[in-house]
Amino acid sequence: MGAAYKTDLPVMMAPKAPEREPILPHLRAWHIVPLVALCLLASPLAFAAEHDIRQPSLSVLVTWAPLLMKGFIFNLVISVSAMAVGTFAGAILGLGQLSPSAPIRKVAWLITQFFRNAPWLVLLFFAMFLLPFQISFFGLSIPLPDWFKAIIGLSLPVMANVSEIVRGAVNSLPSGQWEAANSLAFSRRQTMWLIILPQCVKRMLPPWMNLYSILTMATVLASIVGVNEVMTLTGQALASEGGRPDLLAPFYGFVLLLFFIYCYPIARYTVRLEKKFAVIG
Amino acid sequence: MKFSMLKIAAASLALSGMAVTTASADVLDTIKERGKLIVGVKADYKPYGYLDSSGAVIGIEPDLAKDVADRLGVEVEFVPVVSSNRMQFLEQGKIDLMIATMTDKPDRRKVVNIVDPNYYSSGTNILSLKSLGLKEWDDLSGKPVCGIQGAFYNKATSENYGAEIVAFKGTAEAYAALQAGNCAAFVYDDSAIVAKAAEAEWSDYEMPLQTIDDAPWGLAVQLGEDGFKELMSEMITEWHASGRILELETKWGVANTPFAQAMHDKYK
Repeated sequence: MGAAYKTDLPVMMAPKAPEREPILPHLRAWHIVPLVALCLLASPLAFAAEHDIRQPSLSVLVTWAPLLMKGFIFNLVISVSAMAVGTFAGAILGLGQLSPSAPIRKVAWLITQFFRNAPWLVLLFFAMFLLPFQISFFGLSIPLPDWFKAIIGLSLPVMANVSEIVRGAVNSLPSGQWEAANSLAFSRRQTMWLIILPQCVKRMLPPWMNLYSILTMATVLASIVGVNEVMTLTGQALASEGGRPDLLAPFYGFVLLLFFIYCYPIARYTVRLEKKFAVIG
Repeated sequence: MKFSMLKIAAASLALSGMAVTTASADVLDTIKERGKLIVGVKADYKPYGYLDSSGAVIGIEPDLAKDVADRLGVEVEFVPVVSSNRMQFLEQGKIDLMIATMTDKPDRRKVVNIVDPNYYSSGTNILSLKSLGLKEWDDLSGKPVCGIQGAFYNKATSENYGAEIVAFKGTAEAYAALQAGNCAAFVYDDSAIVAKAAEAEWSDYEMPLQTIDDAPWGLAVQLGEDGFKELMSEMITEWHASGRILELETKWGVANTPFAQAMHDKYK
C-alpha cells in the first residue's frame, strides 16, 4: 500500500471549495458581438442591398440612438418611481395582511388579491383614464402628466406583489421565532419590528429584485397609453424615416438590447443573492 | 371666487371617477396667462408632423401651430398625439388646439369644435402590388388589407368593400407587412401613397384605385371655446388667402394639392 488511495466514489474524494460566482458568470465580453449582430443585422440581410441610394440602416440608427436612449432613461425613471411607490404601499398592505385584527386582514387580503390578479395593461388604462389630467386644491391646480399616471398605474400591481412577498416572507419564518420572542416578554409589535422583519429582509430581497426586473420590462406598456418613452419614440423615429421596413429590426433590436443590458445583471445578481441566502437559511 | 369653487367641484367630480368636461372660462385668457399655447400634433405622419433626430416635432402642422402662437404672442408647446387619443386630449383640456391630420366628420363635430373653413384635404386610396391587378374597390372583398389603428376609413373599407382590415400601430409596420405579403393592399391617405409609389424600392407597387372619401381635414378646439374658434377661423382664412399652405407644402416636399390651390383661389 502506501501510495495514494485511489477511488471514484464521490464521498471519498477531497471536498472542493465552492467557487465564488462572478456577477456575470455566463456572459462574457465577446457575447455582446453575436447579440448585437443578431439584433441589428437580422433583417437588413433579408432586404438585399439593391437600392443603395438610401442611407444604410445602421447609420440611420446611430443618428437616432441618442434620442432613443433618452427615452430609455425615462423608462428607468418610471420603473424606479413605480417600484418606490409600490414597495411603500405594498409593505403597508403586506403588514395589514398579517394584522391581528380580522377586518384589516380581510381588507388587505382583498386589495392584494384584486390587484395581483389583474393584467398590468388594464391597470395602466384604469389609472390613465380615471385620474383627471389636473387636480385643483383651493384654486391651485396641480397638473397630473401622463408619466405620473403611468407610475401610479404600474405601482398598483407592484404594490400587490410586494404585499404578497412581505406576507410570504413573514410566514416562512419558523414559528419558534415567535414563541421564543413571546417567552422573552416581547410585545407583538416588538417581535415584528425587532425580530421577524430584520430576518425577512434577506428573504424578500431576491423576489423583490425579480419583481423590479419584470416591472422595468413592463414600462414599455406605457407607450400604448401615449407616454413618450422609448417604444413611442421608436415608432415615431421609424415614421420620420418614411416607414422603411428594413429599419424595423435594427430599431426594435436596439431597444431589446438596451433592456437586456440593464435587466440581465439584475437577474444574475438576484440568482447570486438567492444562493447566498439559501445556505444560511 | 365662485369660479374657483366651481373648479373644485368639477375636479372632485372628476376625481370620483366620472367623466366631466370642465367648462372653464375663455381658453385664450388661460393661454396668455400661461404664456404658452399647447398644440396636439402628429409625430408619426411625415411630412405633416414628425420628429427630427433631436426629438423636436417638425412638419407642416407644427409650422401652422407656430403661426397661431406668434399671433397670440406666446410660446408654443407640442404634444404628440395619435388618431386614437387626439380627441380625448382636447376634451380633457390637455391640449388647447388640435392640428393632427384629422378628417372632418359630422360625428367628430359633436365631440370637438372643428373650425371652418377646412385647412387641408386628402382622400383614401390603397397601395398594392401591380401584379395583383386590382381595378375596383370591390376587388378587395375578402382580402386582408393593412391599415393604421384609429383611421376612420378602416371601417368604411371593411363594411363597404368587404376587406379584412389588419390595423397596425405605425406606417413602418404596415409597409413591412405589405412587403412581406401579409396583406394584399395598404389603405392610407392618397398623398402619402403617391409619394411612396414614386420611390425606387416600391416600383412594383401602384395606387390602382379611384380615390374615395376625398374629405377635408379639420383643426379643432374644445367645445364651447367660440372665441378661440373665431380666431382660428380668421387664421385659416388668412393662410389660404396668403398662400401659406401652398408655401408650406413646397417647403416640406409635398406637391401642391388641388384643395390648397382651390382654397387659395377662393380667398385671395
